[in-house]
Amino acid sequence: MNRGLILISIAFANALRGIRSASTTSSLAVLTIAIVLVLVGSASLLVENMAGLLDEFGAELQLTAYLEPSMTEEELHLLAESVAAAPGVDHVDIVTRAEALARFEKIAGGSELLAGLDENPLPASLEIHLRPEARTAEALEILRSSLDGLPGIEELAQGQEWIEGYSRVVALARSGAFAISIVLGMAALLIVANTIRLAVYARRDELEILALVGASRTFVRVPFVLEGTIQGLLGGLLALCVIYGAYVLFLPQISFGLELVLGQAELRFFTTSEAIRLVASGGGLGLLGSITALVGGRT
Amino acid sequence: MRRRAGNAIGEPPVRMYHVSKSYMAGQYALHDVSFEVRRGEFLFLTGASGAGKTTLLELVFAAEEPSEGQILVLGRNVARLGAGAIPALRRRVGVVFQDFKLLEDRTVEENVRLALDVVGTPRRDARARVFGLLKSVGLQHRRFHHPLSLSGGEQQRVALARALVNEPEILLADEPTGNLDPELTIEIMDLIVKAATRGTTVIVATHDHSLIERYGKRVLRLEEGRIVEDIPAASGSIGASG
Repeated sequence: MNRGLILISIAFANALRGIRSASTTSSLAVLTIAIVLVLVGSASLLVENMAGLLDEFGAELQLTAYLEPSMTEEELHLLAESVAAAPGVDHVDIVTRAEALARFEKIAGGSELLAGLDENPLPASLEIHLRPEARTAEALEILRSSLDGLPGIEELAQGQEWIEGYSRVVALARSGAFAISIVLGMAALLIVANTIRLAVYARRDELEILALVGASRTFVRVPFVLEGTIQGLLGGLLALCVIYGAYVLFLPQISFGLELVLGQAELRFFTTSEAIRLVASGGGLGLLGSITALVGGRT
Repeated sequence: MRRRAGNAIGEPPVRMYHVSKSYMAGQYALHDVSFEVRRGEFLFLTGASGAGKTTLLELVFAAEEPSEGQILVLGRNVARLGAGAIPALRRRVGVVFQDFKLLEDRTVEENVRLALDVVGTPRRDARARVFGLLKSVGLQHRRFHHPLSLSGGEQQRVALARALVNEPEILLADEPTGNLDPELTIEIMDLIVKAATRGTTVIVATHDHSLIERYGKRVLRLEEGRIVEDIPAASGSIGASG
């Protein structure tokens, strides 16, 4: 084994010895990081699920243009072509008066409701499907203004105005989760830094002896950095387990309610890369905390 | 013994020129001290408590910087050593203290191995060298014991083994027998003298006159931070050199 690898293995052994010898403070650091990451991870999972729902509903987002009853079939097709060329439009479906009536009868469960009327009262319409990039409030507004001037359109209806409000809530939740992550992350970082400072103080005799036998600053410091990083990774792993446990335990209990509100939409857990990111962010917190403790320290 | 870069053969490993050390303005722990120690020489530093013995040793292993003067240790000017160069110097200087400075949560073997770990010695080589050295101080059978289960003399032998395991060119001992009874004192001193016979330059600070008389080595006597006497080694002194 070359000298570098030997020094790394010695640093790891010293880091693990440090964690074992100060098991109470180390456990507290792990627990703190875990609590912070459970809060931050849960918030981010919630935001991601909310954003997922937005995408799902956004795919169904469309504008409906109700047309004047006097329009001929030829005029209808010409108008549909003009609308399809408008900015942000993916495609346009034509719903004739007869098709509108058939849909109504299907929904209402028969034709009794309209039986007394001499003629079909429902107008023809154009269902305007949007491109993904046009599913924003601003793009919708541009499209609406460009369609407003077209002859034959009596009324434009969005039908899902709540999506706009919902997307604002998601954006707000995302910013909130980010701000909370920063604040809690800083708190965890300071706690890890203090744990490492305590470890340095508790092992001052060892550090004195290491200095006497010619240990370099790197040899002395690296085990503390590893110690903080290992604590962070353990905290991240613990947080992942807790969030997964809560997900498995509580999802069946709230799934009925969710179905009522969201239909077929399902809440998802972290993807593998998101789970790795959560654990790694614990390691990152530990690493930064230990570096903070050692910068300018006596070691 | 291995020779490393830094000082030419024949050049004294320790040289001090008009060295003073002051912790407070106008008050000197050491004042205008000049001397040199030859390679393989054994030197006793003596004097009352507060005479400057420990300060002098601390200057040699770069735990302190001189306030005035120049110190050359193994060819390096200690006053001009950067922080990064100090560990490299200390790997060539073994140090033993009155209070042993052993880690209680490590075994005897691990304590001695510490000096080899810092230079990245492969584990198998380190074990072999530690075993050999513990054997030479008669403690190979205690290598898996912890320091607190050993007697004072045994603990000091472990500390001595740690100081010698890297085959240092200089061995410094600050009152190494201060905590030991007369029988153990001789035992430890014999081991230190043996190191000098192998070519290591040895400086021992002590106020125990019986030791100085017994070994008949060169003596530097300090008083209030100044060298007041430099007595050469008696011919036929115990141990080969110095």
